[in-house]
Amino acid sequence: MSRYATPKLGAYVLLTALGLLGALIFARPELALIALPFAVALAVGLSHARQPDVRVHLELDRERVLEEDEVALELELDARDSASRLELLVEIPRGLELVDGRNPVALRLERGEERRLDLRLLCRRWGAYRLGDIHLRARDAAGLLAWEQTLDRAAPLRVYPRPEQLRELVTPRETQLFTGNRVSRQKGEGLEFADLRPFAAGDRIRRINWRASARRGDFWVNEFHAERNADVILFLDSFADARRGGTGTLDQAIRAAASVSERYLVDKDRVGLVNFGGVLNWLRPGTGMVQRYRIVDALLNTEITLSYAWKEIDVLPRGTLPPKALVLALTPLLDDRTVSALLDLRARGFDLVVIEVSPLPFAEPPPGRSGELAFRLWKLRREGRRSEYERAGAQVVEWHDGTPLTAILEGVSASRRHARVRV
Amino acid sequence: MYGTLEADRVAVLVLALGAGSVVLLVCGLAAPSPPAVVGSFVGVAASWSVSAWTRGSGAPGGTILAAVGIFVAAELAYWSLEQVSVVDEPELLARRAAGLAIRAAAALALVAFALAALDLRTGGGLLLEAVGAAAAVALLALVLLLARAGHENPER
Repeated sequence: MSRYATPKLGAYVLLTALGLLGALIFARPELALIALPFAVALAVGLSHARQPDVRVHLELDRERVLEEDEVALELELDARDSASRLELLVEIPRGLELVDGRNPVALRLERGEERRLDLRLLCRRWGAYRLGDIHLRARDAAGLLAWEQTLDRAAPLRVYPRPEQLRELVTPRETQLFTGNRVSRQKGEGLEFADLRPFAAGDRIRRINWRASARRGDFWVNEFHAERNADVILFLDSFADARRGGTGTLDQAIRAAASVSERYLVDKDRVGLVNFGGVLNWLRPGTGMVQRYRIVDALLNTEITLSYAWKEIDVLPRGTLPPKALVLALTPLLDDRTVSALLDLRARGFDLVVIEVSPLPFAEPPPGRSGELAFRLWKLRREGRRSEYERAGAQVVEWHDGTPLTAILEGVSASRRHARVRV
Repeated sequence: MYGTLEADRVAVLVLALGAGSVVLLVCGLAAPSPPAVVGSFVGVAASWSVSAWTRGSGAPGGTILAAVGIFVAAELAYWSLEQVSVVDEPELLARRAAGLAIRAAAALALVAFALAALDLRTGGGLLLEAVGAAAAVALLALVLLLARAGHENPER
């Protein structure tokens, strides 16, 4: 603990000194009498001041919660030596909110006393938090000396974004080799009827279509579409973020990525993640609960890192972008590096869907005619970019804050079905 | 105000010093600014001293009240400055209030004792002398207590 003198000590010393000096210089006894209580308070207070010894233990009831969940934080104080006034402050990171309990709190602890303090925190925003920075400030009984200490009782807390209910997902055009829930265009073992063909040696009797066989006078068997899984790559643009107040495009994108990845994994698809930004992160496609946690943990650590380095898709290791994968990009289309990387992906034949997290709700036209003109030009440039993607054969859909993600995905699915019928 | 009423001369100066100090104290507490608080108490003490000077040599009547009043006001002012950062628990609040009352009583006894011991003219009577005698006994007891406490904690 570091010790320092409080303003009160300085003031009392000054008042005592001035009083005694004034009494001597002006030969006025009342000044000495006024200074006397201050002098005695100093002498008694300083002779009794001693450093408190308090042990603090911090515990969270859970380490992983969802947004808008509450988490209980328990502080156990064990006073090895008495503390006449102990101020205790638990640093609460932004995104968490104290809903119950007192923080900071001033209390008195007797020697050997144990005290428990309970705080309840509301997790307002997703993120990987680290609680446990506790600031202690103790004062002696007279308030002349103070001791300060910062304790580091690291308690990690991961707040996952609350997944949005999605009725429909964007169906990948191509499926992979592994068994899944998607109806493949290839024929094989499955439930969806595909075609009829003449009976061949080795075909199972149960596959014979008796009606067709009776009409044609020969054995015909049913063929089915195979049920396979698909590879989905979530491409998250973390180069830039349009933000206002407590929300922004990156928040929206991360929430969407968490919801979409969860649904694809439930459907037995393999899901990978590419976090394309100042710091490049990736996760190879995988399935199951472990992959789900990997993805969400990777999303929690996402942040905007300023970088001027030009990055292309070549920097990603092999296997991160498997062939025939559906690339679902979540981007505000603010950075040219992402725009170019996505066009590159499309040129390499990936099935690309761009969900443009619109920065418009977070931007306001600058004042004046020239400001408005610049704003209009900027919007036109964005439309030009969208057209560029559409010309390249990628689908772009604009997502405004407040619109449910499921509506956007349903729109994309409907337009893909329509496009397939037209083809 | 009391000093101004008691002052034989330059009452305006005493009043100006006292009022200025009170304004400074209010500003110091509202800001909050510990140096302003110190300045205000220096001003109040100076105001009382000027008032006492107009009444001749020796400590005038009311010096005990003035000394204790300034001390208690200083204690309260620094307490309120502490409260700006963190509010006390109710139990701690009661203990501190009791501690402040004890300190005020001790200050009263101490100043009365000092006046009696130094045989200064205060305009007091038998009551004040009794308080002074009691304060002398209390001071001795305090010295004994301090000595015992120091003996029990030799590591300090």
